[in-house]
Amino acid sequence: MTEAVRLNAASKVYGKGQSAVAALREVSLGIERGTFAAVMGPSGSGKSTFLHCAAGLDLPSSGSVRLGGTELTGMNETALTELRRQRVGFVFQAFNLVSSLTVIENITLPLCLAGAKVDRAWLAEIVRRVGLEGRTGHRPAQLSGGQQQRVALARALVTRPEVVFGDEPTGALDTMTAREVLVLLREVVSTLGQTVVMVTHDPVAASYADTALFLADGRIVDSMSTPAAEKVAERMTRLGAWK
Amino acid sequence: MISIALRTLRHRRAGFAGAFVALLFAAALVTACGMLLETGLRGSVAPERYAGTPVIVAGDQFVRQTKAGGKSKAKPVSERRWIPASIAEEVSRIPGVTKVVTEVTFPFAGFTAHGWESAQLTPFTLAGGRAPNAAGEVVVDARNATAKIPGYRVVGVTAQALPSQDTIFFTTREARRLAGHAGLVTAIGVFPQVDVTVKGALAYTGDERGALEFLDAESARVKLISLGGALGGTSLLVAILVVVGTFALSLQQRQRELAMLRAVAATPRQVRKLIGGEALLVSVAAGLLGSVAGMLVGFWLQARFVALGAMPANLPLVVSPFPALASVAVTLVAAWTAARVSARRITRIRPVEALGEAALPGSRLPWARTVAGVVVLAGGVVLTIVLSSLSTEAAASPVTMLTALVWTIAVALLGPAIARVAAAVPPRAAGAGGYLALKNLRAGTRRLASVITPLALMTAMTCTILFVQTTMGHAGQNEVNAGLKADYVLGPGASAAGVREVPGVRAATEVLRTTARIGLEKFSVQAVTPDGLDRTMDLDVTAGSLAGFGTTSAALSRTAAERLDAGVGDQIELALGDGTPAVVKVAAIYTRGLGFGDLTLSHQLVAAHVDDPRGTVLVSGGDRAALERALPGVTVRAQAEAGEIGTSNAAVNYVAMGLIIAFCAIAVVNTLAMSTSARSRELALLRLVGATRRQILRMLRTETLVATVVAVVIGTGISLVTVTAFSVGMTGSAAPYLPPLTYLAVIAAPAALALIATVIPARFALRVHPTEALGARE
Repeated sequence: MTEAVRLNAASKVYGKGQSAVAALREVSLGIERGTFAAVMGPSGSGKSTFLHCAAGLDLPSSGSVRLGGTELTGMNETALTELRRQRVGFVFQAFNLVSSLTVIENITLPLCLAGAKVDRAWLAEIVRRVGLEGRTGHRPAQLSGGQQQRVALARALVTRPEVVFGDEPTGALDTMTAREVLVLLREVVSTLGQTVVMVTHDPVAASYADTALFLADGRIVDSMSTPAAEKVAERMTRLGAWK
Repeated sequence: MISIALRTLRHRRAGFAGAFVALLFAAALVTACGMLLETGLRGSVAPERYAGTPVIVAGDQFVRQTKAGGKSKAKPVSERRWIPASIAEEVSRIPGVTKVVTEVTFPFAGFTAHGWESAQLTPFTLAGGRAPNAAGEVVVDARNATAKIPGYRVVGVTAQALPSQDTIFFTTREARRLAGHAGLVTAIGVFPQVDVTVKGALAYTGDERGALEFLDAESARVKLISLGGALGGTSLLVAILVVVGTFALSLQQRQRELAMLRAVAATPRQVRKLIGGEALLVSVAAGLLGSVAGMLVGFWLQARFVALGAMPANLPLVVSPFPALASVAVTLVAAWTAARVSARRITRIRPVEALGEAALPGSRLPWARTVAGVVVLAGGVVLTIVLSSLSTEAAASPVTMLTALVWTIAVALLGPAIARVAAAVPPRAAGAGGYLALKNLRAGTRRLASVITPLALMTAMTCTILFVQTTMGHAGQNEVNAGLKADYVLGPGASAAGVREVPGVRAATEVLRTTARIGLEKFSVQAVTPDGLDRTMDLDVTAGSLAGFGTTSAALSRTAAERLDAGVGDQIELALGDGTPAVVKVAAIYTRGLGFGDLTLSHQLVAAHVDDPRGTVLVSGGDRAALERALPGVTVRAQAEAGEIGTSNAAVNYVAMGLIIAFCAIAVVNTLAMSTSARSRELALLRLVGATRRQILRMLRTETLVATVVAVVIGTGISLVTVTAFSVGMTGSAAPYLPPLTYLAVIAAPAALALIATVIPARFALRVHPTEALGARE
């Protein structure tokens, strides 16, 4: 078992009858453990739907999704939530943190919700890795955008999840700050062996990944190993992302 | 979970302030009502006059009836029941009894008068002078040492005075003559404390003696039960409605954060628990503070009721921890329920839906809510129909409030649908501010709905409370104006026979007001002297005739006849004011029952069965000067000034229900302030794209104005339906009476409140620099 995520003929249809829109059409793919995958695609290609289905935030209309060997289809909301908090970490574009909690409380929130014990050493390790030492007592409002995103990443790592999913994690950041976050993600994969799946439309962001997967019209249309930014940009242009 | 809840509370004080205030007020109202209710149930008056006598034997002040199921019910009578003096002898023969003292009580020139025989009940002792020996002599109490008693000579002053009554003593014989109940006494004092059982009377000991001494306190106590219950029930329903609204609004504003929690790791249960925990924490604080405030409100209410004469000053408010405990418990349950109800929707949606950019509140009404709304709406219709068939005030008053509330709850449930329709109506508004306002209204119908509910509630409750009273008053007044044919009304103390001898007087009718019970039901009674009745009043007789009206005759108002299912010629058994049974035959049915009374009986039948037999006299013909000359000391009023219906009941209702209106007003301010301050980001964005402060304020004002207009229309509609149904039941005609000026004031108040509650938070929001406001994530 070396695949962290496995999709088999997963489809997602929104709406019914005439107004039905297929956001994902029979997508089948696997993501290897300990790798960094970037999912690329123009607006409306089904990137977000793919992420939601793969991460157990939503269930596909048909087909199957397996996370670290566990079949997600058929699970109810509570079971999905429990699975997410044990095996999945999230970094969203924005609105990531609970404003009433401090940095350290935000990071340990998933453990607190799961009623699990905090592994002090591990916590110190990830706080050090994301560079938040000395800021653990701050509130989100006192941090910059990049720092907030690093808190989110630390929170995603604290449960030692199967996969960390990022939904445009650098979308709301400036180039420099985005770079820092991406370097951090890359490091997490290389040194901790963490699996990371990131949805993005930024070729530079994709260039930090091991693999780039291209989505268009709800299908995987291409993939690229060790993607370089220029090549990814070129591929995206052909997909019609920048007309 | 509780620790997270606590931190959220600390961090979002503003967001919870609304719910806190609503719960605080609810707790205060429930506590105050609980105090009234408890006083009604357990309150007692300490005896004053009977304080020095261990056992008092007196008449049963209740009409009792044993139902078929063996359950016995008792209702108090309104006048004092006298007992035969012969019982005294019987009591004195009971083993152990050493002394028996008889007493008569009657009103005399503003004093409570007795014979000197009963001075030892208190006991009263002489401080100066001597006991009365001759018929023309009288003894006054210490407080009235210098008082003059018309027609009598003060020969002595007692050493004592009672706190709640001014006492005078005649000779025993004179007192019995003045009291006018031959062979009867009001009470028999028994020394020492022994068990007394006699036929035809009851033995009263302890605080029961106080209840006997102050019959008005006893009836006030009974009234407090129904008032406290109705007020408490109404405020509870209003509280739940308001608290649910506030919680829903505050959760809506935190939707994103809650969705993030869901996505990260929280199960729907955990989020519900978090929200419930927050609600519990807020409600504990609000409940504790509110119940303390409620005690003060309770004492304030008591003071108002005493001032209005609805509650005697010597009936002390019962103070116990129960109302406070009950209110804390009720607040907890209300808040928790409200939070869970509001949380349902938010925890059911998938985190994806809530996180996405398209997470704008959907305007589609969940089907469960639609079904609930329709069911409650049907409930409103049923209640309205029921209300239109209720013809007694005791039954109609609480149902009226309930009907108005149920309609409002239906509006609250179906609010988003109503808001969508309402937002589509205004075609265009001037300027960019108006343009934006209309766009906002159409896009955010959920927000509009949450604002409409408290405004409609306030309008509906205020209109209903006020216009029920004006409708009743107006209908009664109309009947009096139409039916009172006399030229003058003479105040208490005159006798019809004396007035008839005044030159120019064509007819004089003596009128006494009292009550009677038929079965256990209470009816208002006017007792009249039948001579020349057709010249002093016109009851608008629809069946039968008042000709030959005698001591065994009765005339019934149409509503009373319907309640009793009686017609002309039927025999009716009734209990007079003091509980004495009588059988009368229905001679006539008349329509003007609101103005004159449910029952009309003969003066001769009733006079001996009331505490104060001095009624008013209606006079036709004659002139004022001649009447005043012939009857010194009697007030003479012309017909126009005299025909006023008593309004003390209305005033009591205004005071009690005023609290509920105040509660609704708080809800209005709460909701609008919350709704406006939650929009600071949106306002900042508008300013950054070039909107001026004036345009933004104009936009907000327009939105509030539209909401107010919609709410006023709905609220007025609800109260019109309710008051019309009430009017059909009580007055027999669908004629709600809305004094235009009062109505204008009633609708201006919520409008003004709403505008203030919009503009002030908006100004605060606009004071912050727009870039900062945008930066602050929420």
